[in-house]
Amino acid sequence: MNSFAAGWRIQRRVISALMIRELVTRFGRENIGFLWIMVEPLLFAVLVGLVWRVMKGPEEHGISVIAFVATGYIPLTFFRHAVTRSVRIFSVNSSLMYHRQIKVLDFVFVRVLIEMIGSMMAYLFIAVLLITLDEFPIPYDMGALIAGWALYSLFTFALCLILAPLSEVNEVLEKFMPVTTYVMIPFSGTFNMTSWLTPEAQQAMYYSPFVQGMELMRYGVFGPRVNAQWNIEVPITASIVLIFIGLAMCRRVRRELVVE
Amino acid sequence: MIRCENVTKSYPMGTGRKQVLRGLDLDINPGEHIGFLGRNGAGKTTLIKLIGEVEMPTSGRIRRNMSVSWPLGFGGGFQGSLTGYDNARFIARIYGHNYSEIREFVEDFTELGPQLKMPVKTYSSGMRARLAFALSLAIEFDCYLIDEVIMVGDANFHQKCHFELFEKRKDRALVLASHSPELIREFCDRALVLHQGCATIYSDVNEALEIYAAL
Repeated sequence: MNSFAAGWRIQRRVISALMIRELVTRFGRENIGFLWIMVEPLLFAVLVGLVWRVMKGPEEHGISVIAFVATGYIPLTFFRHAVTRSVRIFSVNSSLMYHRQIKVLDFVFVRVLIEMIGSMMAYLFIAVLLITLDEFPIPYDMGALIAGWALYSLFTFALCLILAPLSEVNEVLEKFMPVTTYVMIPFSGTFNMTSWLTPEAQQAMYYSPFVQGMELMRYGVFGPRVNAQWNIEVPITASIVLIFIGLAMCRRVRRELVVE
Repeated sequence: MIRCENVTKSYPMGTGRKQVLRGLDLDINPGEHIGFLGRNGAGKTTLIKLIGEVEMPTSGRIRRNMSVSWPLGFGGGFQGSLTGYDNARFIARIYGHNYSEIREFVEDFTELGPQLKMPVKTYSSGMRARLAFALSLAIEFDCYLIDEVIMVGDANFHQKCHFELFEKRKDRALVLASHSPELIREFCDRALVLHQGCATIYSDVNEALEIYAAL
């Protein structure tokens, strides 16, 4: 039990040190510093939201277009950033392998965590902003919103855990990532509720872990008005399977990792 | 004690693999000073990286019962885009040490002054060596892994290293990879000669140096 407690202490130290290091190298200490992390998702959500509002009018299916776009786009940018930043993450950070308490798994975890925190901050920021402009409802069910985020993030982490080692052994993967993350947008639940789709399409969405997380988040924000439908088994099962495969792959890649 | 059992290491090379170490056994006892000798590319750095757990052996295993420093060499262990101070902060955090103590020691040992506020990538190799030594001496290990780097500094740096490492910490174990016969002769109790993937350990350092010179 003692060694577990010691291990836990080291783990916490390593994670926080890596997070600070990452934030300092990426954003520096100038001007707003690490707050830059929420700028990009914010810009995306606001600008795309405005474009959609002009195109589709203030409301669609009885809910604010801007609020709907914001709740969809911010998790999506989180996912895209997390995935892009996982590419070749081991070789990029290999100089850290000089310190035995740092494990390759920490790199993936820290990057996903930073992206997640940044996106959640952006989400909170835009929600507060839009609430004051009366464009965003007071969240209907905070628990569902957080649970949705958790499921979405869990699956993103599980996916990164596979992509990180895969990108080390296969250079082609990197070339296909941008187009893949683009093509998967319809399967991410970003721009529509499942209930708005045809029955066949609804069937297909049932198996997308992202859609399940997104529906739950949307229910948490808009409540019964959006007629959300979700199951938590799909994202949890998919994540567990991916995490097991990913752990085995990380272990294998670590054995072969060449450190300069 | 550090025990290497039947350690092999190979790297992918073209379609095949390059065997760098073929079945190496080595014990490093507490307080013992071991010199690694070998021509360029013989595997000294590789072996040091394996002992420091920077890279993993292809087969075999390495057991460590004492704390081992990270390999002190020209590269490694630093984040080039961060300043000397930021690197010190990072090391303090992951090893759970008090930053202000480490900073004081680093300022004193490196004598780099305001240069510590510059990114490490702007440092010369001598300056890097100073920072690397300062940080690992500030943390305190039972065993220090030193890869050649001790040779790069100036006389003042040599003197400091000599005092901190060979006098103040002479009870610690030490692995020293070097091409310098004087250094090995002066400080090592045993020497390991690496040649074509095979390692031979000599308890008579002078004998090892003769073998090495004849390679």
